[in-house]
Amino acid sequence: MEARAGETVVSRTKIEIDYLARVEGETAFVVELNGVPFLQLKIFEPPRFFEGFLVGRRYDEVGDIVSRICGICPVSHMTTAILAVEKATGIEVSEQTTILRRLFSISQIVASHLVHLYSLAMPDYHGYPGIVGMQDRFGEQIGRYVRMKNVMNLLTGLIGGRPLHPVTHLPGGFTSIPNQDEFGEVLEKLKSIRADAEQVVRDVMEFEFPDFHAPCEHVALHGPQGYTINGGRIVSDRGLDIAVDEYDAHFKESEVPYAFAKQSAVGGSSVFRVGALARLNNKFDRLREHTRLLAKQAGLPQPGDNPFHNNLAQSLEVVDGIEQCIQIIESAKFEDEEIYASPEAGEGGAATEAPRGLLYHWYKVDRKGVVEQAKIVTPTSHNFRVIERDLKDLVTQHQDLDKAKLQLLCEQLVRAYDPCFSCSVH
Amino acid sequence: MSDRKPIIGVFKYSCCAGCEFQLIFFQQYVLETFGSVDIRYCRMLQSGGVEEGPFDVALIEGTVTEEWQVEQLRKIRSVSQYVIPIGSCAVCGGVPAIKNNEQEYVVQNRVYADTSKITSIRAHSVNQYVPVDGYIKGCPMGERDLVECVTSLLLGKRPDFIQYPVCIECKLKYNICVLVAYNWPCMGPVTNAGCGALCPSHDRECYGCWGPMRDANARALADQFARMGLSEDDIFRRFTEFGEPTVEWKPGQVRRWSVVQK
Repeated sequence: MEARAGETVVSRTKIEIDYLARVEGETAFVVELNGVPFLQLKIFEPPRFFEGFLVGRRYDEVGDIVSRICGICPVSHMTTAILAVEKATGIEVSEQTTILRRLFSISQIVASHLVHLYSLAMPDYHGYPGIVGMQDRFGEQIGRYVRMKNVMNLLTGLIGGRPLHPVTHLPGGFTSIPNQDEFGEVLEKLKSIRADAEQVVRDVMEFEFPDFHAPCEHVALHGPQGYTINGGRIVSDRGLDIAVDEYDAHFKESEVPYAFAKQSAVGGSSVFRVGALARLNNKFDRLREHTRLLAKQAGLPQPGDNPFHNNLAQSLEVVDGIEQCIQIIESAKFEDEEIYASPEAGEGGAATEAPRGLLYHWYKVDRKGVVEQAKIVTPTSHNFRVIERDLKDLVTQHQDLDKAKLQLLCEQLVRAYDPCFSCSVH
Repeated sequence: MSDRKPIIGVFKYSCCAGCEFQLIFFQQYVLETFGSVDIRYCRMLQSGGVEEGPFDVALIEGTVTEEWQVEQLRKIRSVSQYVIPIGSCAVCGGVPAIKNNEQEYVVQNRVYADTSKITSIRAHSVNQYVPVDGYIKGCPMGERDLVECVTSLLLGKRPDFIQYPVCIECKLKYNICVLVAYNWPCMGPVTNAGCGALCPSHDRECYGCWGPMRDANARALADQFARMGLSEDDIFRRFTEFGEPTVEWKPGQVRRWSVVQK
């Protein structure tokens, strides 16, 4: 009996994915199936040592360098680093810069969500290996995706000079500000994709999300008003409420032998989740009324504990983000301004909401404006432990599925988190 | 190559994956690209795919910083008609090569308490290991050069990549020279064009993200920076942000007294 069971199990003792496709960066994972599920997310993305070589670089180079951590959320890394450097060196910025930064960040979050939803996640739910073969049956969706993404890239590029690795953003502000005509043009285009945005939610509703519940702490930034992206306090749905300066006292990073990425935990032990779902769980009431209505129609439980629903949360942020961009451009008037930056010695950290969740940068700068120490904790490091835990639970709950299906389910789960392994091993 | 679609493989080493994103999501001709070439291997785009080739074109992004990458790169070279590095990391080392400025273990120890699992080697560009057939420069790679490369492939002609400095593009745009007029430490004279003189057009000096221009006179520019009052360290930093392993920018990377003092 034992032996026979053993034989049948041989083929399905282990799920090993040696290179997970359609995520940013390189990772593998191993799940042991018989007995106690054992799991390792082997992030083999080669380390690049950003925190190591940033030492000795000038404060105004940091933004340009760290944007190269990630090819899909360069704006987040750049903005967070610049905010941290400004805090460390005592550089102050105008209100206009803060508003423009918010617009800049939201434009990238929407674009990033679109790329993830359509190019990386959608093929799973319709049974395709990638988006390339989907053109015939899903031409409408892909057309919508390309149309919207181009508008959002246009906005990011307008503010930053180019959508990938922008050039205008420095400590102290933006070197050049687009004129009103240019903003007006983008505004028209943003309005033209409003209807598309609502369709995105419907496209995502067509995904068949597995019924899976994985409660945990959800961490996000929260401010006195609006849907906080840059700044605010770090809060959670389980009572955490700290200033960004207290980050180090609460979040502990640790190394694991099988991955080049580090894992982060609240208070050194608690598993927590960041990202679109975590943001919605913490500040659902800050979304526009219309978005909240859409959430209801989409059947998104509130608060949610199904990690697969992260995709739905992203689609809602797409709708809300586009409306916020329209509102910012309509209400603000941007004028050219000079950047005055005279750095002083000091240290400081900043946190922002990257598309994938909470991102933290911290720098210590000497009196010459040269970085002495750097620390970067990415959303995927924050999510590392919860992804592993959820995978373990998922496998335990679906032991009876056949191996191919279970493997797909595991891949779907990891992708639902929209992980960025390039970022996590920076 | 006219009777079938060219087979393309995209490989990623140590980088931000932005070039791959540029290829598959960000450029203006995404659908045309997918329609005209057969992307056989690209992990960011699709599951599966044949890593072993053969490929008509292998596009390589990222700096080479691990031994397994070197081995794979040699294999790719042997099964590909053309090998083309895409983006500054693969072309000239890019940002990941900044770590070469210090001893490897010093940099590693700042990041990891336990460095026993680290197998990282000194950062090199792709052409330092295998011969290449062209470069698509830029950080992220330039759309114009990418489109030129793909269309040349389809037409069976030799691609005409941009090979002149950023200065030319500034002149074409009637930009005021920020180096001469404002004394900003602009890397334009030694940097390959293709960005459309992006930074000088946005009120800041070029920081060299497209990597070195062939036959650039880095020594002369470094001397000019020194005359303008930049410190040795600042000059060093400007020439090591994007082209640490390159021959062209080496003359700008010479540190004199400041390094002795440390």
